[in-house]
Amino acid sequence: MPKLVIHQEKVEDPQVLVDICPFGAMEEKDGKLSINAACKMCRLCVKKGPAGAVEYVEDEKKEEIDKSQWNGIAVYVDHVDGEIHPVTYELIGKARELASKINHPVYALFMGNNIEDKAEELLHYGVDKVFVYDFPELARFKIESYTSVFEDFIKKHQPCAILTGATTVGRQLAPRVAARMKTGLTADCTILEMDENTDLSQIRPAFGGNIMAHILTPNNRPQMATVRYKVMNAPERTEETHGEIIPCAIDKEKIKAHVDVLDIVKKEPEKFIESADVLVVAGRGIKKEEDLAMIKELAELLDGQVACTRPLAEAGWVEAKCQVGLSGRTVRPKLIITCGVSGAIQFVAGMDHSDCIVSINTDEKAPIFKTAHYCLVGDVYDIVPKLIEKIKAAKGA
Amino acid sequence: MSYKKFDQTDLEAIKNIVKDEERILYAKNINEEYSHDELGGASSYPDVVVKATSAEEISEIMKYAYENNIPVTPRGAGTGLVGSSVAIEHGIMIDSSLMNHILELDEENLTITVEPGVLLMELAAYVEDHDFFYPPDPGEKSATIGGNISTNAGGMRAVKYGVTRDYVRGLEVVLPNGKIVEFGGKVVKNSSGYSLKDLMIGSEGTLGFITKATLKLLPLPKKAISLLIPFKTLKEAIDTVPLIIKSKAIPTAIEFMQREVIIDAEEYLGKKFPDSQSDAYLLLKFDGNSTEEIEADYDKVAKLCLEAGAIDVLISDTEEREESIWKARGAFLEAIKGSTTDMDEVDMVVPRNKVNEMVEYLHNLHNEVDIRIKSFGHAGDGNLHSYILKDDLSQEEFEKRMAAAMEKIYEKAAQLGGKVSGEHGIGFAKKPYLRESLDPETIELMSGIKKAFDPKNILNPHKVFQG
Amino acid sequence: MDILVCIKQVPASNKVEVDPVTGVLLRNGADSKMNPYDLYALETALKIREEVGGTISVISMGPPQAMTVIREAFAMGVDRGALLSDRRFGGADVLATSYTIAQGIKKMGDFDLILCGKQTTDGDTAQVGSEVSEWLNIPSVSNVKKISKVESDAITIEMDLPEELEIAKVQYPCLLSVDKDIFQPRLPSYVKKMDTADREIEVYSLDDMEDKDETHYGLNGSPTQVKRIFPPTANDHHEVWDGDGSEVADKLFDMITDMKFI
Repeated sequence: MPKLVIHQEKVEDPQVLVDICPFGAMEEKDGKLSINAACKMCRLCVKKGPAGAVEYVEDEKKEEIDKSQWNGIAVYVDHVDGEIHPVTYELIGKARELASKINHPVYALFMGNNIEDKAEELLHYGVDKVFVYDFPELARFKIESYTSVFEDFIKKHQPCAILTGATTVGRQLAPRVAARMKTGLTADCTILEMDENTDLSQIRPAFGGNIMAHILTPNNRPQMATVRYKVMNAPERTEETHGEIIPCAIDKEKIKAHVDVLDIVKKEPEKFIESADVLVVAGRGIKKEEDLAMIKELAELLDGQVACTRPLAEAGWVEAKCQVGLSGRTVRPKLIITCGVSGAIQFVAGMDHSDCIVSINTDEKAPIFKTAHYCLVGDVYDIVPKLIEKIKAAKGA
Repeated sequence: MSYKKFDQTDLEAIKNIVKDEERILYAKNINEEYSHDELGGASSYPDVVVKATSAEEISEIMKYAYENNIPVTPRGAGTGLVGSSVAIEHGIMIDSSLMNHILELDEENLTITVEPGVLLMELAAYVEDHDFFYPPDPGEKSATIGGNISTNAGGMRAVKYGVTRDYVRGLEVVLPNGKIVEFGGKVVKNSSGYSLKDLMIGSEGTLGFITKATLKLLPLPKKAISLLIPFKTLKEAIDTVPLIIKSKAIPTAIEFMQREVIIDAEEYLGKKFPDSQSDAYLLLKFDGNSTEEIEADYDKVAKLCLEAGAIDVLISDTEEREESIWKARGAFLEAIKGSTTDMDEVDMVVPRNKVNEMVEYLHNLHNEVDIRIKSFGHAGDGNLHSYILKDDLSQEEFEKRMAAAMEKIYEKAAQLGGKVSGEHGIGFAKKPYLRESLDPETIELMSGIKKAFDPKNILNPHKVFQG
Repeated sequence: MDILVCIKQVPASNKVEVDPVTGVLLRNGADSKMNPYDLYALETALKIREEVGGTISVISMGPPQAMTVIREAFAMGVDRGALLSDRRFGGADVLATSYTIAQGIKKMGDFDLILCGKQTTDGDTAQVGSEVSEWLNIPSVSNVKKISKVESDAITIEMDLPEELEIAKVQYPCLLSVDKDIFQPRLPSYVKKMDTADREIEVYSLDDMEDKDETHYGLNGSPTQVKRIFPPTANDHHEVWDGDGSEVADKLFDMITDMKFI
């Protein structure tokens, strides 16, 4: 087992090493340093400490795997009742890009019930082979049976890397498969790149997005990664199809499960503005209560929700629970469009961590523009209806 | 009182002084919010609003107003609750919100000098970034420092750290005649004549316009832990407060809260409170430099509460836990407001050992006056906030019953040795109650002080004690 | 009913920064706390025990200081706690971590129900729970947002899917990862804290495990390697658009289309 050895004689000031360790694993006792169980083997003490003070001792070299035995970039087809989740196409796009770099084929793994015709659709996106496991037992996602199918696929086709959407299903299925294959899995990757030697460079945020980590899986295959929806770009759907559908068989014994799906209930639309991805905020620039209709319409078109500033909540135009700000809710949506909001500090404090802030206001000096990423100087009554029209036209097309 | 009606000539004169028309709001350009404050009991539009940017500018405007006998109303963020910043006589309103600069952090004297329009939340964040602490912590974080000083705002940490007054070292003030003067300074001690600085604090903009403030800072305590203590009854909870105070452990805050107000907050915030086993709670906060230090501090209090009949003592020691409790506590005012159609408040303060008597009185008041009253407050400093709710009553009936209820509440508070306002001030709304509570000689002295500062009575007339 | 909850000690604040020059992780103070997501799992366990009775145990992995979070769990009403602590567990990724925890669970005994929080605030992977269930070869469900029924042989839960809720009955033994806000977590009790001050915490090292092969633990047992860490690029984008209303609307339309909101 590799380990860290401290050469006490090369340590002039133990405190230097104590300070370097970000995990508090360096302990000083009677002038002697030791490493405790908080050590994460990050080896910063080796890299940043006094030369030679801490040594990384590797024991016998691990046997290297034969990477050439692992071929193809596979995408797990995420779906509910055959309805393919769009993250799947985004991942196929990424898989094609990664595969072309190392001349590998692109695979899709599709498991469910009565899905054969749905598999056709995948051939419009540039997949070389779609492996279809179509059985009644696989009608709904069940962790045990789905894992077994996944295992069967991996063992038979040995893909080099597998991409899974970070959906509700993908987030539980991928780790289960990774553990069964005793391989690495990197969650919520935002950047994926393929190295010449078929190692996948995976970059992901940690600590609530406060740091980014670059991760490799150098000596295990398959390399597994999950990616969130709307991170990668989906390729254009082509008219002609490409690739082939391969029906697969599996032993029924393997797809037994200890979970019974009793019922499936349509979800009520999300009620809390805190959990919305998109918010459209009405401010005092909205002159009449009736005019909220266009704000609502825009929010609906973007699958988002309506929020408001304090004066509108106080006027009773919008429910108090939709009020953003210090005296209301704190929100952090992916997109927030403020309409006629001046940007009082008590409002801004409730939304300034949003990923993308678009603000529409006639007053170019409005304080909201200090916070906004996109400052649209103009009239809400002019811009919003035109935007609605455009979105409707695009959706109709 | 008769003042000159503000007209076009005056507007020209103001434009001449300010030289930036964007900062002058006139007639239709005056937003509705400038006509009232947070509770909206009093409503009146100014003729003009000037968003001032310097003491010199305010001085020029005051001089002009003084010479021409035009009333002037100072205003910060407009978050007051008693109508102090409402322009009863119209005239000129000077809005300090653009004077929001932090001028100097003096680490050698542990002071910070700010313009009056800096918001409390901005000040708190700024000093914390520099590892300092400005203890006054009123619930309304988007109030200005100028406003806090003008009402001598108190807040949640008064038990241990005192109120705004205890942190004001020096003030720069524009007098009603336009002269700029300085009261106090960076000095720690000061026995040099009458403390005019202290007269300014809590004068609600009737004596002068604060244009700069030098505030005292403390080193930032590194950690805070709260205790949420359920009791079987509110009486038991509040009876424990004097014992806590007597024990010489000093929490920063001792609050009391009842289930019904907590439920309002849960609904308002859409978030559950972390405990529901009781109807009455005390909420204590301790601060210090390490968890161990604070634990040693609260241990005695926890034991004492249990001996006094507390059901348990619950520990809130992380950001999430603190937020689940204090966000609810902070939302009480808005939550109660959201639970009714209209309301007005009573902000009396009584000696700490009389809190229970006062709370019980409030609780039973509905037997005498048929109106819904909700209360919460700072049990540790005797400052209670009671809200008288309109619900389905007609405006006329509401006003009648509210007046009757307030009359009784203030009478009871006075009997217990209390005062009309603990931290919100008198402003326009509470004048009759203040007059009733003070003897004529005191009013006479206040009147004399007002005359000495403002012989023409042009600065914020009709406030505090004036008819 | 015997329930086990997996808990972790995490930094009190996740406001960590990376020194852009040296690549060193700068932590804001050494304060730590229980992973906030685990509190929901603990509360779920406590609610289930209130309903059907039984015992609640917790397991954690980390340095000896991590006993603090086990003590905290005691103060919330937990009966038993174990800490997996060994220098040789250091540097573990998801695979090695979940393997170590699974080994620890086997050491502790048999449980009907294992509960995990949705994710941790430091690693953020939301993967360890599922991998543990694989090592234990038991069914698992994530995104559990409601417990509908607790029976002697199975538990009925609601799983949150993007468009729908799936109501499923899962046989014991099983592992559930619960969503945030399934229940509002209670606060630790001073009374319970005093009552449990002397309660023993079991501590296990690699030598106590059924599998003593060092290559399955820590850095050695981890297929993934962190090549480097770096600060994210902040969104300090600032762009002003003015001009004709339809021009601005067009630009905005293009932008939100690019961002995939349409």
